[in-house]
Amino acid sequence: MQKKSFKRSRKAALIFMVPAATMVLQGCGAEKAVEAQVFNTPDECAAFYNPPAQCQAAFAEAQALHPQVAPKYANKQECEADFGTGQCETAPQQHAQGSFFMPMMMGFLAGQMLNRGGMAPQQQQQTAAAAAGRNTVPNQPLYKARDDQSTFRTATNTPVASQPGPTQVRPSAVQPKPATLARRGGFGAQAQQRAATAPRQTTYGG
Amino acid sequence: MKKVPIAPRPGWQAFAESVGFQFHTIDNEPYWDESAYYQFSLAQIEDDLEAPTEQLHQMALDLIPDIIRSEQQLSQLGIPEPFWDAVKDSWHRAEPHLYGRMDFAYDGKGPAKLLELNYDTPTSLYETGFFQWVWLEDQQMRGLLPEGADQFNSLQDKLEQAFAELPLARPFYFSSVTESQEDKGTVDYLMDIALQSGLDSRYIQLEQIGDIDGQLVDLEGYPIQGLFKLYPWEFMLQEEFASTILSSDTRFLEPLWKLLLSNKGILPLLWQKYQGHPNLLPAFFDDGKTALNPGWVRKPLFSREGANVELITPQGEKLQQGGPYTDSGYIRQAFAPLPRFGDSYTLIGSWVVGDLAAGIGIREDNSLITKDSSRFLPHIILD
Repeated sequence: MQKKSFKRSRKAALIFMVPAATMVLQGCGAEKAVEAQVFNTPDECAAFYNPPAQCQAAFAEAQALHPQVAPKYANKQECEADFGTGQCETAPQQHAQGSFFMPMMMGFLAGQMLNRGGMAPQQQQQTAAAAAGRNTVPNQPLYKARDDQSTFRTATNTPVASQPGPTQVRPSAVQPKPATLARRGGFGAQAQQRAATAPRQTTYGG
Repeated sequence: MKKVPIAPRPGWQAFAESVGFQFHTIDNEPYWDESAYYQFSLAQIEDDLEAPTEQLHQMALDLIPDIIRSEQQLSQLGIPEPFWDAVKDSWHRAEPHLYGRMDFAYDGKGPAKLLELNYDTPTSLYETGFFQWVWLEDQQMRGLLPEGADQFNSLQDKLEQAFAELPLARPFYFSSVTESQEDKGTVDYLMDIALQSGLDSRYIQLEQIGDIDGQLVDLEGYPIQGLFKLYPWEFMLQEEFASTILSSDTRFLEPLWKLLLSNKGILPLLWQKYQGHPNLLPAFFDDGKTALNPGWVRKPLFSREGANVELITPQGEKLQQGGPYTDSGYIRQAFAPLPRFGDSYTLIGSWVVGDLAAGIGIREDNSLITKDSSRFLPHIILD
């Protein structure tokens, strides 16, 4: 929309507020879910006919990742608000006022159980091919939120299963990342307080 | 200046939603109202609104060096003492400012009277810059408005130019309160323009902003070096991360010095320095306790959308708007009646981008206090 104009803009156009444009961007590269397995313990993993040594190895990898990827909180109260009383532990990382806290590991996600008993050779090949490509699911720790104790979640809060055993996950949604050691929620409190006294308020501008 | 009824565009609501204007109706009450428009002459726009806007803007900027040198004035404006130096530094470093909006009482005759400066978190930007612009194009296309009709609305052009020219950090972050759909709409529009100007722009919910060792960070932990925040400075200075503002390597839009101008206390300071200026109303600092006399309005130093404003008309009619802004000082200002068109009282918001007047947006309310429930109506210029 171009206009020879006097007191108004030559154009007024939108590029990203228009949903059609957004859909085009999101449309490409649809990703397939792959199978992974969720367990509370290595013993439970072995009980699903997985080789015990592989279960132990996957568990050990998840445990090693746990202090790196678990969400970090500047104090225990904030951590327990998200994960429940008694469900948080001290993280190895320090901040100016003391230690960070993180939720306890409540299970693990095993992404590459290749030698699972009873699996057909063809299936094994597919899994191996997938493992070699970009769509792998790394072994990693899982957590449970205070108000949803039945769901296993990754460190970045992606729900992966509501019970132990096989589950379908999108690999890009379960890639572990180092947790940022940031305090959050330090802005916005005034908006919450004032919203309570003036519930109709729709803007914090004016 | 007159109000003229016009047929709304058929299906405009669906169109509005398709272009991101979800808040055209708020709590089942119309917010965008295109059942009528306001018509101005070019002289009314240029002489009575555009020129005074730029002049008042300059007058307000000229007050700042005096204010930051005066502990008394910083106190009067309710600026917390631990932030005085930061306010001064932000001014001395000439940290760039993006935009602001002045609210005027104006009836088409005589000088527009400045009611206040919304210089920190002004909203109704999208409605002004985009939606009323498209409305004019559409109504011209439908033949309901003449080809020669214009609009005082260079907002999008000027914002795009500002984003292209201001020295802003890249990536540049935009932030608003999560629960406010209206504020997200305003921020989305600004980001859209910023993207069009080539700025690498990212959104972060205000509540998700993090702090690592005194540096504001994004969700991944990367430092935020440039942040547009649609959230009042006076709130931020009271919150947990207030001290992070002092230590963080972050430039803000609006910069901290805008806190001096978004403050109602600027009105008595303007009056002290420019007493008798045709666009100014008499204004004084107020203790908030003494009974108000007829013909006066009391406003908190910090308040948005008409909240906690109290007024008594010269005839003795008393009006009071409740709200959550009871924790700051007050000013009182001589009452300037908003013009009445039919059953509505009309307020003119006049935009400033950088230091230039950039257009107007019109709000109508059923009362003399314009609030967040006030309707937005489009306007045209036609001689």
